[in-house]
Amino acid sequence: MAGVKSVLGKIHHEYVSNTPKKLKIIDAYLFYILLTGVFQFVYCCLVGTFPFNSFLSGFISCVSSFVLGVCLRLQVNPQNQKDFVGISPERGFADFIFAHVILHLVVMNFIG
Amino acid sequence: MFCSIFKSLADRGYTLTFKPADDASLILSKYGEYLYENVVIFAPSVEEFGGTLSVEAFTEFIDGGGNLLIAGSSSSSDLLRELASECGFEMDEDSTAVIDHLNYDVKDNEKHTLIVADPSQLVDSEVIVGKKPSAPILYKGTGLIVDPANPLVLSILSADSTAYSYNPDKPIKEYPHAVGKNTVLVAALQARNNARVVFSGSLYFFSNEAFNSPVQKANKGKLFEKSSNEAVVNALSAWVFKESGVIRVKSVSHHKRGEVSPPPAYTIMDDVVYRLELERKSGNSWVPHSANDVQMEFVRIDPFVRTTLKSTAPGKYETVFKIPDVYGVYQFKVIYNRIGYTGISNATQVSVRPLEHTQYERFISSAYPYYASAFSMMFGVFVFSIVFLHYKDDEKSKSD
Repeated sequence: MAGVKSVLGKIHHEYVSNTPKKLKIIDAYLFYILLTGVFQFVYCCLVGTFPFNSFLSGFISCVSSFVLGVCLRLQVNPQNQKDFVGISPERGFADFIFAHVILHLVVMNFIG
Repeated sequence: MFCSIFKSLADRGYTLTFKPADDASLILSKYGEYLYENVVIFAPSVEEFGGTLSVEAFTEFIDGGGNLLIAGSSSSSDLLRELASECGFEMDEDSTAVIDHLNYDVKDNEKHTLIVADPSQLVDSEVIVGKKPSAPILYKGTGLIVDPANPLVLSILSADSTAYSYNPDKPIKEYPHAVGKNTVLVAALQARNNARVVFSGSLYFFSNEAFNSPVQKANKGKLFEKSSNEAVVNALSAWVFKESGVIRVKSVSHHKRGEVSPPPAYTIMDDVVYRLELERKSGNSWVPHSANDVQMEFVRIDPFVRTTLKSTAPGKYETVFKIPDVYGVYQFKVIYNRIGYTGISNATQVSVRPLEHTQYERFISSAYPYYASAFSMMFGVFVFSIVFLHYKDDEKSKSD
């Protein structure tokens, strides 16, 4: 138990000290999305699937936002610089916004 | 000898044409049109028809909607046998007769072939044989065998359980072809085109002699002044020549509940009103036909809805039902086959489409959390973008 605690503590310490602040902002955003998704899923389990298209679009909007956020995080992370040669963080962000515009158009269309 | 039945037919408005069966000028159709609507064949022993008549000509006549009344006898020809088998009956072998040692008339003490049939042996259909008579029916002739699996063939009069069909002059060496209630005396066929054929194994059944003869079952049975052959034959001839038991669809209509005319296409989950009118031939006019067992099916390959139509007025039927949550091309189908009546098969095709994009329910209260989540995702991306972009500038200025 103590070992696990020390490992977790070490991970936390590493994260706090070594992760760039920009990535921490993305992580906070991802955490917020995760909470919203979990909330919707629990709500659906409690209330039932009646407006199923609404549930789907709400939930898929969360899942997709999460995926897009993770993609952005990968592209912005300086450690992955060599994997995304020619794609600057600005370009990555522009792609992120573009994908979000399409995603939310679709979600609004389907939510009913 | 048969003037009673022919007189009864003439009284009912038929124009009768009598021809010998081997008349060389016999002809059923001219230039593709049938000259007769109904044909009576009272020629059990004719070996070959005259003129252009043949078994094929008669089967074509039936296919063309003509009606036949045929009587055989103990000495029926192969020609008649062939015609019978074309219609789904089988006549017993030559010179056989239906024998019943318990239910024979007192006049026939020798061979027991003059059968006394109880009215309870008639088919249970007032349309075909009229009201159940009280007096028994006289029958003398060969037995018929009917395939019970054939849904178009009907046994109108069957023999009692003690009857069998065999040559009365010979000792019985083989098992008889027809035994007990399987021995059919009068059989009928209503083809899919509603043409009707009645086949009796006994010509005597239709004769004046049988009509006017008193009946008394042997072994001290009750004496009846007059057999009920005449009543049964009159009803039977009215049925076979389509005077009775003819029904048809007068009108079919359908529309959404609350409207009056049918829409170009229904939408799923619509409430539909389906109305049907049936009428029955009565003399020369048509009268409403009332029944309580008319069913309608709403079919898209399989029936999705099957319901009994409610009778709202004599001859008028109606049902209200909800279209299922499945779209496609459907048919309102009414298939109504009842013993004694012509078959009705009516199908009306309609298409059922899904909801239009604007027809879905919107702003459902239980879905508000989902709406909120979706908008919070948008809002989240907005706030995140500001923070992210702003922070980036911040960091750059710091590092500078």
